[in-house]
Amino acid sequence: MTVNMTPRARGRAPRRRLGLFGTSVLGAAIGIAFLIPLWWTAINSLRPGAETFRYLNPLEWQTFLTLTPTFDNYVALAGSDLGRAILNSLFISLVTVIFGLAICATAAYGLAAFQFRGRGVLFSVVILSFLIPFDAIAIPLADMFRDWNLQNTFFGLILPGLGNGMAIFLLRTFFLAVPEDLVEAARLDGLGWWGVFWRIYLPLSVPSLIGAGLMLFLFQWQAYVWPLLMGTDRAHIVGPVALSNLQGQFAVDYGVLFAASVILILIPLVIILGFQRYFIQSVSTTGLK
Amino acid sequence: MTSRLSSGTGVAARTGTAARRPRRRSSPLLIALAFLAPALIALLVLRIAPAAVALWQSMFQSGLLSGDRFVGLSNYIDLFASPDFQGALGVTLLFTVLINPIQVAVSFLLAVLYTKRLAGAKIWRSLVILPIAVPPAVSAVMWSVIYRPDGLANAFLDLFGIPPQPFLTSPQQALVSIMVLLSWIGVGYWMMFLIAGINDVPRSYYEAASLDGASSWRQLWSITFPLVRRPLAFVLVADTVSNLLVFAPVQILTKGGPEGSTNLLMYDIFTRAYTLGDLNTAQAEVVILVLVTVLIVGVQFRLLKAED
Amino acid sequence: MKRSRAASVAAVAIGALFIAGCSAAADDSGSAEGTLQFLGTDDPATYAPVIDAFEASHPDITVEYTQVPFDQYSSTLQQRLGAGDDTIDVYGVDQPNLSQLAAQGFLEDLSDLEGEAKAATSEGQYEINLYDGKMWALSVWNSTQLMFYNRDALTAAGIESPTADPEARWTWEQIEEAGRAAQASGTQYGLVLEQIEAYYQLQPLAESLGGGSGIVGDEMLTADITNDAWIQAMDWYGETFASGLSPRGVGGFQTAPIFSDGDAAFFVGGPWDVGRMAADADFDWGIAPMPYFEGGDAVTPTGSWSWGINTASKNKDAAREFLEFAAFDAAGALSTAEATTIIPANTDAEAEYLPGLEELGGDRAAGVADLISFEVENTAVSRPTSVGYVQFEAEMNKAFADIRNGADAAERLEQAASQIEAAWDKL
Repeated sequence: MTVNMTPRARGRAPRRRLGLFGTSVLGAAIGIAFLIPLWWTAINSLRPGAETFRYLNPLEWQTFLTLTPTFDNYVALAGSDLGRAILNSLFISLVTVIFGLAICATAAYGLAAFQFRGRGVLFSVVILSFLIPFDAIAIPLADMFRDWNLQNTFFGLILPGLGNGMAIFLLRTFFLAVPEDLVEAARLDGLGWWGVFWRIYLPLSVPSLIGAGLMLFLFQWQAYVWPLLMGTDRAHIVGPVALSNLQGQFAVDYGVLFAASVILILIPLVIILGFQRYFIQSVSTTGLK
Repeated sequence: MTSRLSSGTGVAARTGTAARRPRRRSSPLLIALAFLAPALIALLVLRIAPAAVALWQSMFQSGLLSGDRFVGLSNYIDLFASPDFQGALGVTLLFTVLINPIQVAVSFLLAVLYTKRLAGAKIWRSLVILPIAVPPAVSAVMWSVIYRPDGLANAFLDLFGIPPQPFLTSPQQALVSIMVLLSWIGVGYWMMFLIAGINDVPRSYYEAASLDGASSWRQLWSITFPLVRRPLAFVLVADTVSNLLVFAPVQILTKGGPEGSTNLLMYDIFTRAYTLGDLNTAQAEVVILVLVTVLIVGVQFRLLKAED
Repeated sequence: MKRSRAASVAAVAIGALFIAGCSAAADDSGSAEGTLQFLGTDDPATYAPVIDAFEASHPDITVEYTQVPFDQYSSTLQQRLGAGDDTIDVYGVDQPNLSQLAAQGFLEDLSDLEGEAKAATSEGQYEINLYDGKMWALSVWNSTQLMFYNRDALTAAGIESPTADPEARWTWEQIEEAGRAAQASGTQYGLVLEQIEAYYQLQPLAESLGGGSGIVGDEMLTADITNDAWIQAMDWYGETFASGLSPRGVGGFQTAPIFSDGDAAFFVGGPWDVGRMAADADFDWGIAPMPYFEGGDAVTPTGSWSWGINTASKNKDAAREFLEFAAFDAAGALSTAEATTIIPANTDAEAEYLPGLEELGGDRAAGVADLISFEVENTAVSRPTSVGYVQFEAEMNKAFADIRNGADAAERLEQAASQIEAAWDKL
């Protein structure tokens, strides 16, 4: 008897309909709840900074909506370093993703595709070493980089983001799921180990590669302490630092700060939303079982 | 059986009838190491070397007035004897034990929710994922506004007749408030990984189970949960690690207070190094944090160890 | 702070492969010409006027400014100066941190300029740059605190508003009473302090009662925050929150909007708030002197930024010219306050600046120029000069936050004292 993959029969008991409706409402409510803080921020970016805290309590419709939006805050950012900071951040993050994926994927392959004694130990050592918190070793690392004249260079900003223990872990998890007989057959065919990596493992692991790429990207995009330590002259300024620079010593114009935040959020947002489809769809081994 | 390979080797169709070519005799270990080489170099330069320096520095004291001197384990002893550090250690352990299971469970349940056929599932799902794109400084400001005594949270509670809560100004509520904040940021991110894992489970399993009369809940526990163990394990470990490194919301919102109730280790390290200027003791604390992390992750690995 | 070079030497061998430097090296020249690298925490627009004016009168020197976010400034300084970074020539020195930087050897000795410095500014602003018998920086900006009041709110409560006359200064007790009356007739809060948990803001409370700055001793490394005056001041402070006179849970930059949105009867803020209130407040407000405790002294906070020269700089002569321009030259000093609202430390520049500030505030700010001059000359008490100030302030601010949130003042101050002593032991 074959199993049809048909959508659920519509004529089912009303309880199921109600259940489906209930979960839809729940899903929507949760989504909206998560959106509220961002929405509030975006709305306040369209108001003058002086009005930011005017409509907090009690809740009024103005808390979440404004009938007189103004783009002054965004215009005020035009003269600031934010534009260059965003370009710098993008550049650094993208380069990190490309080279970082290369390093992490090859490492994950080395730890997944080969059987040798001590594999588990090596895996543990690699992962655990990358668990050393970056912010904590930032100072000695910054001193070392300074000795090598890497301060104020893009190279110095990119380098620490290249090895990411969690990305290796993620990729290895997926690599382990690649069926052995596939690899066997390829090897019998004369495919070298690099070929197996490039032609079998990588294509089968696109979702995990995207996931790992996302991790690498976000790590670099949010980096704040490291760029400061490496000396950010105006040519090398990055997004989070430019954002913090908007917080003056004596006052903060929250309208401008929020406008900058909205702009700074847009890019990872677009990337995440764009890639989540590919990431979430399974491109994996159902057909190969 | 269809092949999903786009490369032109046509491998899957073969069943090994081709002439066997002699296998190369290079040891798998050496080849594996070749692939691991770039990562190992990165590891050495970017983690091991500075960590060694940190370990070294943790055994010195270099005061403004007293100069550099070797003190051995004295910094560690001072740390363990200091009530502030003991508090930070306790807070961090409590935090770890609470937040990780909760976040993983919530991510899992949300992943289950959003893989059902809901109206607009993709949209709501995207909204939940959004917060990970927000820079820490900005999310801290957002939540400072939410948690103000006259802020959005109390305004919402007021709608339900609940009296205003102190949130970040209460030693009892502050840590939980931070946990909620971190969950808002991270849960969607982990949910993504779990959705990918859930989507891996073939629909046929569910169909078969439905035909057998199994309820949704039952299917969840007997089918979904066991089959997403690997992604769940990954999420648990990665989440634990990232939560042990939290400090931005603490730095911006509570500064470790009220009364040390949010004084997480990473924040304590940061202030010790940068504000108090006691770099050496901070490095000692780093070493301790790394050991704690390794220990916790090690335990998790052991518990979750699958057949590999 | 010295760093162990052992591991780095070994790593340099590997590092040689990685060198891809394009480090920003400062121009190398002996006498007063070249490019100066200037580091600070403000928006570049703030320093544009003084840099332009300086470059106009010193055509051989160019100044390049880099901003570092305020909350990371001192840690960034520590790291970069500690590593002997020569890409910083002139940098802003947060005045209370001066002794630490001087003791660490990060500031160039400027004692030969002492005579000029003394003549250029007030006594307090001259002395703040002294440590260990030498002078290490030049004061550029100064500050004080003012009390803003919501006249509409006070009138609605039937209370006569204070005036800007320092002789008719209100007491904290009077403020409290008037604040509560305002709350009774509809204003949300009675009192809000701008830097509500900061030592800068709260030092005067204890000083007014005679409790001293909290740091005593020949070395200025003994904590004295558990005397009766400190406890009394902190009890009063904690009580203002427990009773609802002041709000809990609202941080640094969100306090001024409480007043400008009309939700507080009294607000203690700085000169930078004058223009802000003029722009944002849509009710009738005024300015009065900062209060004191009944039976105690009138004390106001003071001090702001000095500029110093990095000992590792390769452009010290040019750096000196820049410093002298901003501190001694009246026009130069005035230009430092052109794009921001702050009081120049230079006395002549201050005299010229203040009337402009009063105009900025409009009618409601009448009398602010005289008031500020008075406070700077007569009631200003600087933060203590101590090598351990940074640690002291960090622990005090945490204590203030806890007291604000309900901790018992005496106990919490005891705890802070031992935390401070522990931190100082490591010096």
